[in-house]
Amino acid sequence: MSVASDSPVHSSSSDDLAAFLETELDSDSDSSSESFPIEEEPEDDAEVSNHRLKRRKLDHLETVDEDEIEEVASVKFSQEISEASSSKLPCQHPGTFGNMCIVCGQRVEEEETGISFTYIHKGIKFHEDEVTRMRDIDMKMLQSQRKLCLVLDLDHTLLNSTVLRDLRPEEEYLKSLTHSLQDVSGGDLFMLEFMHMMTKLRPFVHSFLKEASKMFVLYIYTMGDRPYARQMAKLLDPKGEYFGERIISRDDGTVRHQKSLDVVLGQEKAVLILDDTENAWPSHKDNLIVIERYHFFASSCKQFDHIFQSLSQLKSDESEPDGALATVLKVLKQTHSLFFEDGGEDLSGRDVRSLLKQVRKDILKGCKVVFSRVFPTKSQAEDHPLWRVAKGLGATCATEVDESVTHVVAMDVGTEKVRWAIREKKFVVHRGWIDAANYLWKKQPEENFGLEQLKKQGAEEKSDDVPLEK
Amino acid sequence: MFFHIVLERNMQLHPRFFGRNLRENLVSKLMKDVEGTCSGRHGFVVAITGIESVGKGLIRDGTAFVTFPVKYQCVVFRPFKGEILEAVVTLVNKMGFFAEAGPVQIFVSKHLIPDDMEFQAGDMPNYTTSDGSVKIQKECEVRLKIIGTRVDATEIFCVGTIKDDFLGVINDPAAAA
Repeated sequence: MSVASDSPVHSSSSDDLAAFLETELDSDSDSSSESFPIEEEPEDDAEVSNHRLKRRKLDHLETVDEDEIEEVASVKFSQEISEASSSKLPCQHPGTFGNMCIVCGQRVEEEETGISFTYIHKGIKFHEDEVTRMRDIDMKMLQSQRKLCLVLDLDHTLLNSTVLRDLRPEEEYLKSLTHSLQDVSGGDLFMLEFMHMMTKLRPFVHSFLKEASKMFVLYIYTMGDRPYARQMAKLLDPKGEYFGERIISRDDGTVRHQKSLDVVLGQEKAVLILDDTENAWPSHKDNLIVIERYHFFASSCKQFDHIFQSLSQLKSDESEPDGALATVLKVLKQTHSLFFEDGGEDLSGRDVRSLLKQVRKDILKGCKVVFSRVFPTKSQAEDHPLWRVAKGLGATCATEVDESVTHVVAMDVGTEKVRWAIREKKFVVHRGWIDAANYLWKKQPEENFGLEQLKKQGAEEKSDDVPLEK
Repeated sequence: MFFHIVLERNMQLHPRFFGRNLRENLVSKLMKDVEGTCSGRHGFVVAITGIESVGKGLIRDGTAFVTFPVKYQCVVFRPFKGEILEAVVTLVNKMGFFAEAGPVQIFVSKHLIPDDMEFQAGDMPNYTTSDGSVKIQKECEVRLKIIGTRVDATEIFCVGTIKDDFLGVINDPAAAA
């Protein structure tokens, strides 16, 4: 060990030179490394002896005399000692696997172990600092690949499932249309008899995932249980190229009945969420893109108290090129390109949350909206959800009419404001116009949302915008 | 490490298994019950190799079940701290990688992978040296050192390291193919 203290070998800077020497020598000729005259080298040359050490590790064929081995071994030993002494600081226990620290192997008490990543492995937990560190490293890596994170919900977002028992008689025809489970690629309707379920993928989902995976690291986050989540992932991603192990189910969440980004390994400012249920994400509303619910099966409509017929009963489906997923994909593309716009090196100031707001603000830009008999008179108009939605979409909201107003949102023809609007040739629309713009990320043609349409529809008549109303 | 040891177990047998084949029934039930289980002390029971003795049966009061004390020889596998193991990589991610040596699951964290190996994301995530000569990915065989073990009723967890001399990839079927 006394050799160790005065030996200059264990400085890491010499490694580079040794590596350089090695490549130089190897490139010289193949045989030269074998016949390299070791004995003739000056013994005190630290670089060369280190080089020899490295070569020994790689090449056991080399023959060196006994003293040489002795020296090499002692140097190596001293390196180990110095490494050990430098890491004498108490281990921070950045994470645990089965309650053992992943760095030092010690048992760690249950309480101080941090966030569980059960979707990766049931025994693994990481300390919050470590998670933050991983997110930071990840962020750099993702930025170099020009990627962000996207968390996807399953039910009513990417697909719709029903229990076979709930299948209506008029839906029985679907059973003959199901796709084989042996080769799921290309199919969109599946019967999972072992789970007693039938699943319909949303139109456009395959293209959506393909396109989105180029811009985002994809996660699944569902309120279903783990076997269900895994099975659905198999249907969506048979080759496992999109999601990998990033499939988070109800069993993996940290808070019951809620979804949270704390188990997602992406910085919050680089994560977008696509879900049909806003309430599931109480603390990440700004990252969330709410998508119109996909109801293919009748049981699914019933679950949400919708009175209209399901797509399966109507024997129709969402349109591929103009469906909800296609719309969302456009929003994703827009947000992604804003994030990486002017492709500089420093993207640390960028935040998807503000960019998403920015994208939203363009939708109803330039519109000035007045509400008439939409809100109860008692309450503050500014607090009404519809008011906030309209503001979020970039519209200016007002309580009184004036020249600059462009749209009057009303539920009844007879109000004073509506009469004013008709006189002044302004648009009169019902609230569905705002809801539709909110879900479809696009200003809708006003003539489809006139008050006459609302009346005509009556109670039971179904039209495109009815499902948009909650 | 593997051990060949003698263990004892009290087997409860239903009367319908009595008769000529009582012994065979007892042994097959023993195999079903014991093989593949873990105990904190002995580790994972890999296989029963023989029966040493079957003691006298005792009828349990109130039920018709009979308890037989059975002594059996078996091969057990128990990892130890400091042991060098060869394992197959099952999952690679940015936190490190998971590997299996038979029933034993081992996690090697990023901290205990040599610093010159960088994580590469993609559909086949891996850790690769800067010159690309060494690559750890799924299905790879690695030699690692155990630094901590925990044995549960059904599973053995280990934490390992490859940040030491002579540890790391020993065979990569994907690269060979």
